[in-house]
Amino acid sequence: MLQAGAVQLLCLTASSGVPLFCRGASKQLPFSVIGSLNGVHMFAGGQGVQLFNCDTDRGGRVLWKVFHDSVMLIAVTGQRSDACGNLQLRRLLDNVWNCMVLVLGLEELTNVRNVERLKRELRSCYQLIDTFLDIGKDWMGDLTHCVECLLPAQPAVLQDTLNAFAQAAESDFGCLLVHGKMVVATDKWWRLAPQEVVLLAALVRTLGGSACCDCPIFLPQGSPTVPHRLLRFQLLPGVNVCMLCGPTPTLQSVEGELVVRFWRPLVDMLHGCQALHQRCFPGSVGLHRDVLALLLINRESSRAVSSVHPAPSAPGAPSPIRRWELLRLLFTFATTRYFSQTEAPQKGEQLPPPEEFAPGFSDQPQQCYLVTDECKFFALQTPQHQLYILTAVSVPTFALRPLATRTLSTLTDSTGF
Amino acid sequence: MAHPPPSGSVVLMDWYRSVEGKGFFSRIKRKEKRRIFGLLEAPPIPPLINVDTVRYKVFLSGKSGVGKTALAARLAGLDVSSVHYETIGIQTSVVFWPVKLRDSGQVLLFRLHLWDCGENALRRFDHLLPTCKEQLDAVLFLFSFTDHSSFDDLPGQIARGCDPSDNVVKLVVGTKFDLFMHTDVTEREVKAFQEQWAVPVFCIGGDACDDLQNVAPLLNTLAELLWHQDCVTVGAVPANESAVGDTSSRAGH
Ligand SMILES: Nc1nc2c(ncn2[C@@H]2O[C@H](COP(=O)(O)OP(=O)(O)OP(=O)(O)O)[C@@H](O)[C@H]2O)c(=O)[nH]1
Ligand SMILES: [Mg+2]
Repeated sequence: MLQAGAVQLLCLTASSGVPLFCRGASKQLPFSVIGSLNGVHMFAGGQGVQLFNCDTDRGGRVLWKVFHDSVMLIAVTGQRSDACGNLQLRRLLDNVWNCMVLVLGLEELTNVRNVERLKRELRSCYQLIDTFLDIGKDWMGDLTHCVECLLPAQPAVLQDTLNAFAQAAESDFGCLLVHGKMVVATDKWWRLAPQEVVLLAALVRTLGGSACCDCPIFLPQGSPTVPHRLLRFQLLPGVNVCMLCGPTPTLQSVEGELVVRFWRPLVDMLHGCQALHQRCFPGSVGLHRDVLALLLINRESSRAVSSVHPAPSAPGAPSPIRRWELLRLLFTFATTRYFSQTEAPQKGEQLPPPEEFAPGFSDQPQQCYLVTDECKFFALQTPQHQLYILTAVSVPTFALRPLATRTLSTLTDSTGF
Repeated sequence: MAHPPPSGSVVLMDWYRSVEGKGFFSRIKRKEKRRIFGLLEAPPIPPLINVDTVRYKVFLSGKSGVGKTALAARLAGLDVSSVHYETIGIQTSVVFWPVKLRDSGQVLLFRLHLWDCGENALRRFDHLLPTCKEQLDAVLFLFSFTDHSSFDDLPGQIARGCDPSDNVVKLVVGTKFDLFMHTDVTEREVKAFQEQWAVPVFCIGGDACDDLQNVAPLLNTLAELLWHQDCVTVGAVPANESAVGDTSSRAGH
């Protein structure tokens, strides 16, 4: 019924199962199927059983989740595709819920007086929700729930300017993003929940090439009922500075009085960041050309650096889009099978038990690899980091571990990440 | 209500097609598309040429789905989305547009800051409309040719979008003119409206490839009205005569 790889997202009221919206796959599921999906979840609930997910005999997969006893989200995939594992779908549902709270606020979603009205209001969330359903993504914060960063050559100057700029605008929350990747942020911004930071970066992506914006938003964890203003200024194409503000200052005053004053002196440095947006770490950090893609996670800070252009690569290697796909697969493969969850479950959330690794073993794997005819993967974790690399097939399998270890030390030693 | 100056009496409407004009317009283009400027950037103007940059704030007003975001993108040379995604707050874009004044021959670079706010966001958050109307120079009132109610709503919009005492330039834009199969507003109605309100009406639609030709009539007229308005404000021309292009009084704007 659904195309391979496509995810369909259904949103219903939790109490009565009234459909609120459907997004994703081009062909919508018939109403009767939607009704049954809701029915089976409700039936299980009546028997004191919580239904998390199920696999169909034809390889589809369904995942349910109820938020605040008010809204139920259901993700449905077509034929089995590893890109849509349980982890990915669970993250998707959480992200979509967060999108809804960000735009409409918790009150609107939990105190439903008029379902038709809510349906209308929910339309304003579609653009943000669709960015999470989009398959050809060139980012993966939605999956890792880590903040994707770009490591500039001279972070200190940028950091000082950002702090001063935010202060001049009476805000504690500021950040500089290049194509959705965090370059620097104020302390308070880093103290937002990682999912919120990921969500805000996704929101900025949707705003495209416009010059400025002033959007009322709610913070799903930090401020779900009181809106803040997200101010965003495009300094150079793809280079955005953002702030969270209260009622003042006005967009016009910040744009007219502060933007140029603070940032014009750094224009060359900003151009430098712009040029790094695919690589994501300074050119002075040299990696082996066999590394086709990498994802480095700092487990303590929930930050990540990912790149499908870490080094000038050999001819015949998979395309950048394909590398993103593979990197997402590798991450899902390693985290669901071997590595423990990086984040604690949210309050009140019950996680289904992780897939079992070789029953009987109580050890925690630290490294894993995978060889396919397209490329090779290696993942390793230390108490502080996780590194996932994608290499050319030509790399001998026994060389994967030293290559990964060297890549990790090169990156962390030179950038302090 | 003061009548606007006759079209083309203040600025050269076809200047962008001339050899001289092309020299300027090449600076707001990259390859065949429009160049996008960040807030720290501006079109490079050769140092020896005396070109003043004049800045204006323009607000786009109209029902949800009428095409405000699409129009802003079209005017700025950005990609136009084919699906309707509601705009969740204020989104602004900057359009640089060079103009040559008819009388003095002076070239001005207009920096038009377009303010687009999703209609449903305006409804839900009270603080947005006052922000949009603050220090406003012009309003584009939009209606859609495929939705008669959006046309009927124009007088109400005009009343809400600007106060009668404001010196704000008003222009009406009919969107989705290309969907003539579904047209719901007749040419006669548009003409009658134009006469009654003394406001120019533009029709927009069709493939939004960034052809200057698509946007030039609207942007030139907007520039002309804004310039005329400024000249009236500083007393360089009487309100209801054609403008006399006294640019010296505007230097350093
Ligand atoms: N064919 C055609 N479609 C258009 C035109 N202008 C806008 N549209 C379409 O109309 C839909 C709505 O346009 P938007 O610009 O997003 O509407 P809006 O006025 O910004 O709506 P809100 O943000 O909700 O207030 C989109 O699908 C556009 O592609 C046009 O001139 N011709
Ligand atoms: Mg819009």
